[in-house]
Amino acid sequence: MRLQILINFMLSRKVILTGSFGVGKTSLFSRFINNTFSDRYITTIGVKVDKKSLEIDGQEISILLWDIAGEVTQNKVPNSYFLGASAIIYVFDLTRPSTYKNIKLDIDYLNKMLPNITILIVGNKKDLLDQEKIKTIGEDLGYPIDLYTSAKTGENVENLFETIGRGFIE
Amino acid sequence: MTPHSEKNGDEILLSKLKEILLKEERARVDVIQEQLDVLKTNLPDEYEVLINKLIEEKLKKSQDDIVNAIFPSVGKMIKKYINLQIETLKDSIDDKFKKAFTIKDFFRNVRSSIFGVKPSEEILTSLVDFQIEEVYLIQKNSGLLIGSASRETTLDQDVIAGMLTAIKAFVEDAFKREEEDLESIQYGTYKIILQNFHSYYIAMAVSGILSSNQKDQLGNRLLHFADTNLKHISSQPDAAKIEEISKELKKEFLS
Repeated sequence: MRLQILINFMLSRKVILTGSFGVGKTSLFSRFINNTFSDRYITTIGVKVDKKSLEIDGQEISILLWDIAGEVTQNKVPNSYFLGASAIIYVFDLTRPSTYKNIKLDIDYLNKMLPNITILIVGNKKDLLDQEKIKTIGEDLGYPIDLYTSAKTGENVENLFETIGRGFIE
Repeated sequence: MTPHSEKNGDEILLSKLKEILLKEERARVDVIQEQLDVLKTNLPDEYEVLINKLIEEKLKKSQDDIVNAIFPSVGKMIKKYINLQIETLKDSIDDKFKKAFTIKDFFRNVRSSIFGVKPSEEILTSLVDFQIEEVYLIQKNSGLLIGSASRETTLDQDVIAGMLTAIKAFVEDAFKREEEDLESIQYGTYKIILQNFHSYYIAMAVSGILSSNQKDQLGNRLLHFADTNLKHISSQPDAAKIEEISKELKKEFLS
């Protein structure tokens, strides 16, 4: 009976992981889906799709996560990959300024393409920098960063997806 | 002594001289000849195993090269052979139809003259069958699964639906054809037929050989299914609705 109730209330949502090459999207994906991490960098070809279920406050949520290869904007990725998404996770690499120098442009582009959906901005690879440096980057960026994560240590990864899941049920 | 007998005497002398001078060489040639004869007679027995082993090793080492070299030709030959055999079979069926005449044949011939389908094609189609393996009802943009039915449990069906949508989106975006949708994906004798609707699409995995007539019929069945079951489907169906649609898909296409 309880199972039936849970099934009836299960939510399915599409979530996109996007950002520049090598920022750790696939690592976040693997950490979230399989709780694994690899130091080997293998570039994602096209798109990778996987699923994970979360339970937040008794609500089952099935997240269909799309890990999209490469750049965000200007015809580099088929626009249709983004359609139907309920949330976008924009990832940048805290150690490489080139991955966040166009952050405003990219977010504006995503907002224009998918108005009214949640976009979370995530600075990844926080294990490679000290707290002071991370704080400076955040201040200099002039753009609100939602979370700082480390796919390597797993820090804040669960938190990231829980934040997204919570957004779906509120 | 005449000049002729003198010449003969010289030749005999020369021959004897040759015999004396080349005696050792001739003996050696005889021995070599003998050895060659022995080798000729016994080669298969003595060296067969060794030679076979050498050939086997050589073949193993250059297996990829050999396969690469012969693959295109063999592929073409097989394709040509199969086409030829099917053509022959068709001709023979058509021939038999001309000779033997039954009521059933009469109706078949009437059908063929109306719809332009040869009797041979109709019979061949009935001989080589296909099977629907899996059916997925998928939201067009998000790739979220609305319903599914499968003969065997394969990968996670939500993931399959997502990946199919990604492939579809990629092809449609990459080759930018106005108002055109990807309609099928084929590998070997396995085919995924995609029937597109406004806000969702149905992907049907079929094994076996599917003629264009059968494909049309399947398309009609999918349209009929959508008309009957999916008219009032919401954009975010709940789990109960998903289960209900999955049952209908199974009943309609897999039972």
